[in-house]
This record gives sequence, structure tokens and C-alpha cells, in this order.
Amino acid sequence: MEDLTEMLKGTLEGCVLEIINGEETYGYAITRRLNELGFADVIDGTVYTILLRLERNGLVQVTKRPSEVGPPRKFYALNDAGRAELATFWAKWEYLSSRIDSLRKGVR
Amino acid sequence: MSFWETVTGSDLTRHWTAFEARARVLPDDYRAAWEQIKAGLFPHGDFTGRNLTPILDSALALLEEAAAEGQSVGEVLGDDIPGFCAALTGGTGARTYRDRWREQLNDNVARKLSRLGG
Repeated sequence: MEDLTEMLKGTLEGCVLEIINGEETYGYAITRRLNELGFADVIDGTVYTILLRLERNGLVQVTKRPSEVGPPRKFYALNDAGRAELATFWAKWEYLSSRIDSLRKGVR
Repeated sequence: MSFWETVTGSDLTRHWTAFEARARVLPDDYRAAWEQIKAGLFPHGDFTGRNLTPILDSALALLEEAAAEGQSVGEVLGDDIPGFCAALTGGTGARTYRDRWREQLNDNVARKLSRLGG
């Protein structure tokens, strides 16, 4: 689906948190995962700035690991604050999606 | 950072030389993007530009990682490099030197006005 970017913006950080929650991973792999999910427009630069923000806000633990192909990669794992943030994200998401569903079904 | 480095700015020179050495070995399209990133980040610099050193370092690291994966720079940064730079420095709300000048001007005007009893 194209032109999802605007709608996706607010939720992308939550998506990235969820992906990191699954397993410790690095930027390039996160972008590929999002692309596989059908978010074709998501680019590395966007994911990278989200990762920087997560790092600045103290939600992730960063480890540098050597890679076979070139410079060392930064791997990201959630810490306790990150897991709490992820739980908050899903709670907000539940609320938002249930409200929007109600609107669509005409519930008052 | 030693006092000597602080006053002479030799730490900045050292970092910048190291950055350029890293950038030189990147593919052509990445080097062009690096030039654009530097230009895009410059307005976000503080008085000496020291706040940009860690940002430039991380941007360069992204370029290096992505180049090693064999991607084109378009796949990595898209066509909005200024937007990318703004996000790097903490979102579009990041303060630039223009914001500081505007603030200073507003303060001065407000002070002068209050002195006039307006």
C-alpha cells in the first residue's frame, strides 16, 4: 500500500520497539522487517532516526558488534524502560483503534 | 577534552579530519550525501559546532553500515536529506541559530518596550 507514511508516522516508533522486543537486532534488519510487513516506503534513514531517539530517551541498550561485511553494527535491545514504553504504546493503540472502529460502525 | 583543545579547537580539527578520512572511502553517491548532510546539519550547530560532532559521527556510521550492505544511498536516505538532518538533531522542532536570533530579537524588543512603559 502506498502513501502510508503520514498515517504511519506516529506509530512507527511503537513498531520499531515491538521488533526490537522480539530479539536484539540492528537498523538494517529492522527496516527489512518493516518492508516485509508491507511498509515498503520505510527507509533506513527513518528507522535510524527513530533508533537514535529511542537511545536518547534511554529505552534501549546498545551494543556494538563486529560484522562480516564492514564496520561494526549497533545492535539494539529493550531495557525495562523500553518494555514499559512498548506496553504504553499497545494500550494507546488499542484505545485508538477501538475508537476509530466505533466511529466507522456508527456507534455512539 | 583538555583546556588547550577547548581554546584552540584542535579537538574539532582532529574529529573533522577523521570524519573526512572515513568519508573518502565511501562510494561516490554516499560521499555526495555526506556533503549534503554536513550542509543540512550546519544550521543546527552551536557556537563552536561541537554539538555536531557526535551527530556527524552517527550519521557517518549509518552511511558506512549501509554502504557495507551494498545499498544505494537513495534506498537509505530517500530524497529528503534536510528532513533527515532535522530528525537527527531531534526532530523538526530542533533549535537552529535562526531560532536563537529570533528569540534574542524578541527579548530585546520586549525589554525596550517595557522601558518605554508600553
